[in-house]
Amino acid sequence: MMIAAGTTKGLPVRKPWLTRLADASEPYLYSAPSLILIVAVMLVPLVIGISYAFRDIQLLNPFSGGFIGIEHFRALSQDAAFYGALKNTLWWTGASVLLQFFFGLILALLLDKPFWGRGLVQALVFLPWAVPSFLAGLNWAWLFNPVIGPIPHWLFGLGVMSQPGNILSDPQYAMWGPIVANVWWGIPFFAITLLAALQAIPRDLYEAASIDGANWFQRFCSITLPFLAPTIAITVLLRTVWISNFADLIVVMTGGGPADRTQIVASYIFTQAFKALDFGYASAIALVLLVLLLAYSMFIILLRQTLLNKD
Amino acid sequence: MASIEIEKLEKSYGHVSVLHGIDLDIRDGEFVVLVGPSGCGKSTLLRMIAGLEDVSRGEIRIAGNRVNDLHPKDRDIAMVFQSYALYPHMNVAGNMSYSLRLRKATKEKIGAAVAGAAAKLGLEPLLERRPKALSGGQRQRVAMGRAIVRQPKAFLFDEPLSNLDARLREQMRAEIKKMHADLKATSIYVTHDQIEAMTLADRIVAMHGGVVQQVGSPLELYDRPANLFVAGFIGSPGMNFLDVTYRGGALRLKDGSRVADSPPVAVQEGSDLTLGIRPEHLTITTDSGGISAEVELVEPTGFGIIVHLTLHGMPVKVFTLDRQALATGGEIKVSFPVQHIHLFNNEGSRIG
Repeated sequence: MMIAAGTTKGLPVRKPWLTRLADASEPYLYSAPSLILIVAVMLVPLVIGISYAFRDIQLLNPFSGGFIGIEHFRALSQDAAFYGALKNTLWWTGASVLLQFFFGLILALLLDKPFWGRGLVQALVFLPWAVPSFLAGLNWAWLFNPVIGPIPHWLFGLGVMSQPGNILSDPQYAMWGPIVANVWWGIPFFAITLLAALQAIPRDLYEAASIDGANWFQRFCSITLPFLAPTIAITVLLRTVWISNFADLIVVMTGGGPADRTQIVASYIFTQAFKALDFGYASAIALVLLVLLLAYSMFIILLRQTLLNKD
Repeated sequence: MASIEIEKLEKSYGHVSVLHGIDLDIRDGEFVVLVGPSGCGKSTLLRMIAGLEDVSRGEIRIAGNRVNDLHPKDRDIAMVFQSYALYPHMNVAGNMSYSLRLRKATKEKIGAAVAGAAAKLGLEPLLERRPKALSGGQRQRVAMGRAIVRQPKAFLFDEPLSNLDARLREQMRAEIKKMHADLKATSIYVTHDQIEAMTLADRIVAMHGGVVQQVGSPLELYDRPANLFVAGFIGSPGMNFLDVTYRGGALRLKDGSRVADSPPVAVQEGSDLTLGIRPEHLTITTDSGGISAEVELVEPTGFGIIVHLTLHGMPVKVFTLDRQALATGGEIKVSFPVQHIHLFNNEGSRIG
């Protein structure tokens, strides 16, 4: 491709400037199509979205659109609904991730043991993951509905509820509805990833430990957990970010109600943008959520680095 | 330390039978090597003694107590695995002390046991390292250290040297032998390497197809193999076998040519037998009593020379220390010293 510059009378001859320009720009020209595509579909919307946060954009107001600086953020700092949503997000994310992880781990441990029909059970266990979240939300909303769903009647029969009412309309317990649906929907993710990690543990380690005198629990603590730790860290981090962003189930099941008791930040953004049609304000909230999640991820990555460096 | 008795032990997976009635008495302090080709059931037998496999039928007794239904941890045995099976998240000291910590031994006792084992195996400078920072030979030592800190009733070794290179294997073999001379612990050692079996064992148990073929001291197996399998398995290069017929006090090939005088055996005239002779016992000769053979290939090993021959259409190997053999080619003569001839009948059992 490159042609060595020839010499005349011992002096180097410079190539014409057009050739030099072509040579220099060649790598950029090759990568240009994909770079342009990435900028067009990723950076442009991101920048526009962020710019909304600093502009007054209301769909129903034709005179809106002007730059207003940090006015949205000032309003946000005094928005009680936002603080409620922030608290609900913590609750929703924490409970969902913890329960999904806990049940996912138990399921993975059970599926790691060989038994008759394991292949079929594995396939069935992973089924919820394949259900669209929208359908899962509708399904669970119906299950919790005392008119058509069985769950309130079962809970009443067990004496947990004083009457077969709809948990989704109970301000005290409404959040448990989407959390239960989310746990059902998200267990397979943990089960799949943890099962894969479990199956990578050499079997003779367990044999050596049982000869050394370890019982089931001691083997779990000194072999299984250390082996699973990296997988647990990365899956919990991922799920935390996804779930705190995951408004589908809440929007479908409760719409944030009753009285904003199930409103999380992500569903609050959805409500502001598509119910109140205030895109500017919604963008400002989204920006805050983005910063919070970035901070969380950085924290986890730093934590991981320090833990890894300790060895 | 303890004796181990195995009685009519059988193992089957579903309809597939792997071990067929194994009987074996291992004395207190004895070093027994189970040897055989892969799939002969030697590892299964060891794992059954360890309690890692269930017993289908029969009985295992350690120190006189039936252990069939005991968990591995209650049998008071230690095992060294082929893969070493070191706990990757613990350092060397942690690996060696794990069993003692589980037994809630005191700090002083654990410290003394680990220090003692580390000194014996030369592991002192490595105690703080993780297994991944160790070489293969060092890992092997840690695995042995983990076994000896507990002073168990018996040591079980499952092909512990297979993952090491040849030089290191030689060195570790000697160390294991020294360690056994030192500790006098009952040991069962599984290997497919007959050199390891010969060098380490007080007694060798040769296994094939889930059946014990012969039990005896290394030289017994070498000098008087009980059957064709043991004869062929022990020794390297392997024993030569020729189909012969007993006629008139001599052994003759199928084409009638006389190979050698027969050792004194009680067989009928005209019986078909298998003659076995080790390559190191065949001699290249010039006298007229020898039988002529064609040289196919000459392999120098440094120590000696292996000459591959074709003797009346049958392959035969000769191992000789005489460097003159390097120059051989074409037709030579070999003789079969009668005192070194092994004879086996149609069923493959030794008759003389």
